[in-house]
Amino acid sequence: MKIILPDQGTRVIERGPDSVEKILHELGINPLEVIVSRNGTLVPENAVVGADDEIRIIRISHGG
Amino acid sequence: MGRKKSPVDPPVCSLCEAPAVVNQQYSCRNLCTTHFINDVEQRVFQVIEKNRMIRPGDRIAVALSGGKDSTALLLLLARHLPKWQDVSLIAVTVDEGIHGYRDQTIRAAERVAENVGVEHSVVSFQDLFSDNLDTLLKGREEQACTVCGILRKKALVEGAKKVRATKIATGHNLNDEAQSVLMNVLRGDLPRLVRNSGIETADCFLPRIKPLAEIPEKEVASYLFIKGMFLLLPECPYTGFALRADVRSMLSGLEHRNPGTMLRVMESKKKIEKYLEGEKVSDPLHRCRKCGDPCSGDLCQICRLRLSLAR
Repeated sequence: MKIILPDQGTRVIERGPDSVEKILHELGINPLEVIVSRNGTLVPENAVVGADDEIRIIRISHGG
Repeated sequence: MGRKKSPVDPPVCSLCEAPAVVNQQYSCRNLCTTHFINDVEQRVFQVIEKNRMIRPGDRIAVALSGGKDSTALLLLLARHLPKWQDVSLIAVTVDEGIHGYRDQTIRAAERVAENVGVEHSVVSFQDLFSDNLDTLLKGREEQACTVCGILRKKALVEGAKKVRATKIATGHNLNDEAQSVLMNVLRGDLPRLVRNSGIETADCFLPRIKPLAEIPEKEVASYLFIKGMFLLLPECPYTGFALRADVRSMLSGLEHRNPGTMLRVMESKKKIEKYLEGEKVSDPLHRCRKCGDPCSGDLCQICRLRLSLAR
């Protein structure tokens, strides 16, 4: 599974199907502060993503 | 016969069988692209109608920074515009003069305004206050959000007056509104907690409307992403100095663990407003003795700020 992080860094991890929420939790990211796409399509945090997917995590909270 | 469901198939929409793109924990619903877009557009329209934010003859200055909230606001208002009689929109962007940040967002704002066919006007700190924000903040960066907030508010009003607007629409979302309530509580600022900037009673103020005030930030971003309008823009270099940054982080943690927290914060604010109806919680408005602008004390915020910056 390829994960593109909010800072544009990339991680490739070996894992089976897992929920978006669990992946975000392991990365220490609050799901409410990001949106997540799987292979370019928006997915909710209760979606399950697979080993071959490209997951992009986009931070949405900015500004003062 | 239907395809066997795979473990990686997304959850389905609570209103149809299409794949869900959003999970609304506070309403216990999953929504597909079509139902989510309809849901956001309907809720924004309902907020506008319920609060009579837009009336015939209005010329709405949409505060357009180029960021996600103001972009979504402009898209949504332009979408609903044909429903209102004799109403026009104009986008107004404030250029504070923040190196490495504002130039990109102004270009994004120009593209969005052109895209939706709305006239666009830019007003700068340099023109209004004879200096850009970076220069004004030298040696006092920790005051960035306070200084910028005061000057930006003034610049927006001047920009809106210049284009003959009757109201200013801002892209404050539910998170922003709930954060402001908590910040005012933390500061013990009751007058600001219950102030309603949408009321048209004071002849000296341009009323402000916040049509996205009931839409969570994540849904604003999701709306734009689905519309193909979500841009990765640089973060304001002064953000880390804001009290809001701490409140935002705390509140989003609470909302994640207890869905509906932000809505309940807003409900509490409404209850406090109701209890205080008719009560005097702030001083009556005066005119600033230096510039004549409306204010609650002897000097307006701008003149007080100018004095402190000159020291």
